[in-house]
Amino acid sequence: MENSQKKPIIEIKNLTHTYTDTEDRQVKALDSVTLDIAEGEFVAIIGANGSGKSTLARHLNALLLPDGGNCLVDGKDTLEEDNLWDIRQTVGMVFQNPDNQIVAAIVEEDVAFGPENIGVEPEEIRRRVRKALETVGMTHYTHHAPHLLSGGQKQRIAIAGTLALGSRVIVLDEPTAMLDPRGRKEIMETMKMLNRERGITVVYITHYMVEAMEADRVVVMDHGKVAFQGTPRKVFSKVDRLEKLGLEAPLAAEFAFQLRQAGGDIPEDIITDEELAEALCH
Amino acid sequence: MLGNITLGQYYPGDSLVHRLDPRTKILVTLLLIVAIFLAKTALGYVSLSILVLLVIALARLPYLLVFRSIKPLALIIILTLGLHLFLGQGEKVIWSYKFISITEEGLQMGVKMSMRLILLLMFSSILTFTTSPIVLTDGIESLLRPFRKIGVPAHELAMMMTIALRFIPTLLEETDRIVKAQTARGADFASGNILQKAKNMLPILIPLFISAFRRADDLAIAMEARCYRGGEGRTRMHQLAYGMRDGGAFVFAFLVLGLELFLRWNPSLTLPF
Repeated sequence: MENSQKKPIIEIKNLTHTYTDTEDRQVKALDSVTLDIAEGEFVAIIGANGSGKSTLARHLNALLLPDGGNCLVDGKDTLEEDNLWDIRQTVGMVFQNPDNQIVAAIVEEDVAFGPENIGVEPEEIRRRVRKALETVGMTHYTHHAPHLLSGGQKQRIAIAGTLALGSRVIVLDEPTAMLDPRGRKEIMETMKMLNRERGITVVYITHYMVEAMEADRVVVMDHGKVAFQGTPRKVFSKVDRLEKLGLEAPLAAEFAFQLRQAGGDIPEDIITDEELAEALCH
Repeated sequence: MLGNITLGQYYPGDSLVHRLDPRTKILVTLLLIVAIFLAKTALGYVSLSILVLLVIALARLPYLLVFRSIKPLALIIILTLGLHLFLGQGEKVIWSYKFISITEEGLQMGVKMSMRLILLLMFSSILTFTTSPIVLTDGIESLLRPFRKIGVPAHELAMMMTIALRFIPTLLEETDRIVKAQTARGADFASGNILQKAKNMLPILIPLFISAFRRADDLAIAMEARCYRGGEGRTRMHQLAYGMRDGGAFVFAFLVLGLELFLRWNPSLTLPF
């Protein structure tokens, strides 16, 4: 990967997060996770429910703090309280439920919420809000009420909110889980554009494999650990391994795998429909 | 059933009154309310009534809209009038039947008290008709800011109002969904007496509360993720600024106040009735 030469913007070292469950047992949501994310990289994190994806996401901007190990954002340790506001500006978060993360009753006021919190000058806030809304293609809705927007539009407002805050990394925690197919496409397109054109580092947690296929790197989580990782091609061709972790490979990869099992002469690295069609025609 | 609701009773427009700073509108409304309580003579009430009509015209609001704002308190107004009418003590009896007697003093008092309530309602509804709830919140926050030193949580109050305004439509939508879901499961919200009906509301209220708490939790995390740390060191994108017209509004309000004071201490200036 070309990005791996760049300096990592997020360094996770032996990160452990423990919580006490309802039966008073100590559960490790994250168990000694080590992971680097390079600046400008598009990383997808997948894993079954309870694999620790969301917990990991919340460590990236110090909403949760490590019980063991460290999480460094742009070289700053999340455990040090003085770094808190720098870290939260560097790493923006977009959550699953589009309704529950919009604070204000007008779109532009909501995008302005972040910069207002860190005490940016009014003139500069207006500039940032205008630019952020333009970037996500929501300028037309500047004065609208958020509850009248579609799910995809609401999530784009949330993305604009992180941009206005000046985030260089955007962490999205299953941002499309509550959206329709059109909204899902909107968000994916927006994030790909931000990654390519603005050099924004994207950490994209999802359970849609189709979305993870668009990433530079896919990290597979299981029981609080990184099970394996690599390019989407490498990860998704391991159909049997994914299945053991309770994940479903993309349909083409699954199909190719079944054909190979039945003795068909199909290459191992097929993950898209087009590739499968190509291989079948030969 | 809960669709297309409008928040508050804002009547969008671009009149002089609409464009006034919200702080001006709040303070001027307070001054005019003081003026209402200063009014004592018929002339005082008549002048205030003319004034209210003038302001409505200036704000380009439909008269009917403003008059309708009296409705919620219509019963109290009628009661006030009735009580003064029948129980008011006085010398000049205009009409009597057995033990009931209506005196001129009672009639006067009743009309004055009802006028007070009506004017009060009209002036305060002009404020809410011409100011959007969001702007109103900004105005209240700004006005309360000096009282922070004595422990008035100005920013927190404004933030609570903002969030409430933001979530009212969301929660209404949710209520609608829950009602439909419970109806589909055979819940009956229409029949029974009041007590039964109230009991029937539980299957709506419980899921609604659970969901509201979850939303509150999510929102708190999202706010924290966006660097929220209270009002300290916070700036605002839109800053309130007084203009020339605000000065005019204050001068106007003080003139009205002065007029009512003058009329109060000169009761000889009165209408010929």
